Amino acid sequence: MSILYDEGQQAMAEETRRVLAARTDRARQLELLDRCGEWDETFWTTAVDQGWTALAVPEAFGGLGLGLIELGLVAQEAGRVVSGAPFLTYGHGAVCALLASEDEGLQSTWLPRLAKGEVKAAVAFAEESSPMQPHPSVEFRGGKLQGAKSGVAGGLAADIVVVSASAAEGPVLVLVEAGDVLERRAIRSFDNSRLFADMIFDGSPARVLVSGDAADEAALDIQAQMAVLAAHEQAGGAEAAMQAARDYALERRAFGQPIGAFQSIKHRIAELYGLVEIARANCIHAAARQGRGDFLEAAACARLSAIEAYDMATRDAVQIHGGSGVTWDGGLHLHMRRARSLAIELGNALFWEDLLAIELTGVAA
Amino acid sequence: MTDLDVWQERARAWLASVEPEFGLRARAGLTQDEDLALGRRYMAAKHEAGFSGITIPIEFGGQGLSPLHKVLFDTLEAKAAMPIGYFGVSTAMPLPILIRYCDDKAWVRERVVAALRGEEIWCQLFSEPAAGSDLAGLRTKAEGGEQGWTINGQKLWTTFAQYSDYGILIARSDPTVPKHKGLTFFWVDMKAPGVTVRPFRLANGDIQCNEVFFDDVAVADSQRLGPIGGGFSVAMATLMIERYAASDADGFGPSIGAFVEMLRPLTINGKPALKDGRVRSVIARNHALRQGLDSIRRRAMLAMEAGMEPGPEGALNKLFSVRSRQKLSELALDLQGSAGLAYTEGAYTKADWASSWIGAPTMRQAGGADEMLLNTIAEKILGLPQDHRPDKGVPFNQIPA
Repeated sequence: MSILYDEGQQAMAEETRRVLAARTDRARQLELLDRCGEWDETFWTTAVDQGWTALAVPEAFGGLGLGLIELGLVAQEAGRVVSGAPFLTYGHGAVCALLASEDEGLQSTWLPRLAKGEVKAAVAFAEESSPMQPHPSVEFRGGKLQGAKSGVAGGLAADIVVVSASAAEGPVLVLVEAGDVLERRAIRSFDNSRLFADMIFDGSPARVLVSGDAADEAALDIQAQMAVLAAHEQAGGAEAAMQAARDYALERRAFGQPIGAFQSIKHRIAELYGLVEIARANCIHAAARQGRGDFLEAAACARLSAIEAYDMATRDAVQIHGGSGVTWDGGLHLHMRRARSLAIELGNALFWEDLLAIELTGVAA
Repeated sequence: MTDLDVWQERARAWLASVEPEFGLRARAGLTQDEDLALGRRYMAAKHEAGFSGITIPIEFGGQGLSPLHKVLFDTLEAKAAMPIGYFGVSTAMPLPILIRYCDDKAWVRERVVAALRGEEIWCQLFSEPAAGSDLAGLRTKAEGGEQGWTINGQKLWTTFAQYSDYGILIARSDPTVPKHKGLTFFWVDMKAPGVTVRPFRLANGDIQCNEVFFDDVAVADSQRLGPIGGGFSVAMATLMIERYAASDADGFGPSIGAFVEMLRPLTINGKPALKDGRVRSVIARNHALRQGLDSIRRRAMLAMEAGMEPGPEGALNKLFSVRSRQKLSELALDLQGSAGLAYTEGAYTKADWASSWIGAPTMRQAGGADEMLLNTIAEKILGLPQDHRPDKGVPFNQIPA
């Protein structure tokens, strides 16, 4: 795996960008902010039509057998346009969970349908403010789940959910067919198309994917893979915000010159360029390290630098836009909101700092 | 293995074989004069081994290889901490400029080989008291013409001029035209009458930089490099030659790994320092930053290997890595408490926190100050406008002082 995109990968990124630019409707995205429980169906149909859902599914299950590099390219472009649904990242999480399982029945049931985009998946690891736990409070007894998971992205629309739970014999990852077997409490959010929900399981039937130490290992790997995809989205979003700031600084004039001629503005945008490129480099590196011993370290680097880049880029792009940065119709707040929701999903910066510190020092906090 | 891999392995093996004689341990405790003498012996050995002047054409005494070969070798050589600092400027810019602009090719070959072997040293007479970032604002005068030139003025920050035999010089030959247009480029004999070199100490104690005074120094027109009034283009061409320099994501300071090991035995409030959340945050964030810079570097190498032009993001390394080095070094000293107070002048910046800390500001200024790098990124990469420049298009002698 190389950290230099090959021609096919570059062509794929360009095509993805072209398709998403043509099919993204800013007005619709703004509407969605006011509507809890809805997502941008055009984005999702596009993802399915373009085969993005099949990218990282093995060929034996109807996928294309590619990996995080290709999925990351799509995520980066999706982030650039503040995509209208979270299903690509979490669908990949479900694919990883199924592949970690030895249950061939579950694999052959769900992997082809995930590849075709027939089902939407969510991954429910977080409980209250903690993104992952050594001992989840959700319990799995006699094939049934009891307990609550918090802030599940895509939770309001998911057909299947991967849940981390505690069983008598230790940790497990289980699969729930959502239907009516669980209660979803919608979170009215600042970024509603993420479809956040708290999930209450009260005897919900579930099937075991992985159990014991393997469940903990799988959960961490799934979290890291999804975090690398989120980091690509963040890097794409950060670049879009940086470019918006650049364009505005060229066009807007004050004191007789474009504001981009003032060093307080141009240096800020140059700093953003640096953060974006550093995040992007970490993302490409992490995607290329999937399956290697240093993957978790690389994923943490990608996640930390991407959170920083997106936060800084949205903060500064809004500031550089002055008044027009804070209007509803200007739409820059879409990036601001997405920077925040993506920073919370999949574990905040402090969570990843600690994981990375453990990798680098061997010492737990 | 590719040819490049084979070559790199050969370079690695050679460096390992000479490290006991020239590396960090051999250099410990040497005076600067002794270290320079060791450096000259190292340069001669390197030339004999076929690793010097990597990108210089074979007919001029170099190896005629690609910039990628050079970056690979320089990276390995920097890791081995060889005594090469004295020859950095000398072998980087002056030699390709001589090759390109000087007509007497036999003489050029002699100079190139002598410089590569460390027998002669060249310096670069660019910056002045009133011309640093604004190089084209320089005031040193070159008067005369095709019959010969007289140089008067002062240069500043001239690295290792005190050891130099020759220098490349840029001076103002016509003050009546706008500043970029009135400059001419020469080579000069540093031992010529009227040249005075005065070394001065930097904040870290190093004696590397010099003031160089020119008092009626005679220079033949054959020493002119490029056309009269074309000096700025020659200077820019010089700077472009080093586009693919070796870079270090640690900003030539100690690594994050070294930071962790330094902290391992220390405590904060009675608890291990490595368990402290603030310390962990610093470790994680600086590592993520440097890992990103290193990925950019490796991607650039792969691009070069594939015969492509590396992306412009390579320009970020110095800006981001040296700031990281500066702050991390401050914290490293603070965390050691009283042990952080000790200072050994001249210690190697990659191995010593105090040297790394006190030398960091120099790195943030030399070879393009942070603010100039930000301007370059903003203007050349992002297409943002130039700053307001009141001196633009104004004849040099009419610019208000």
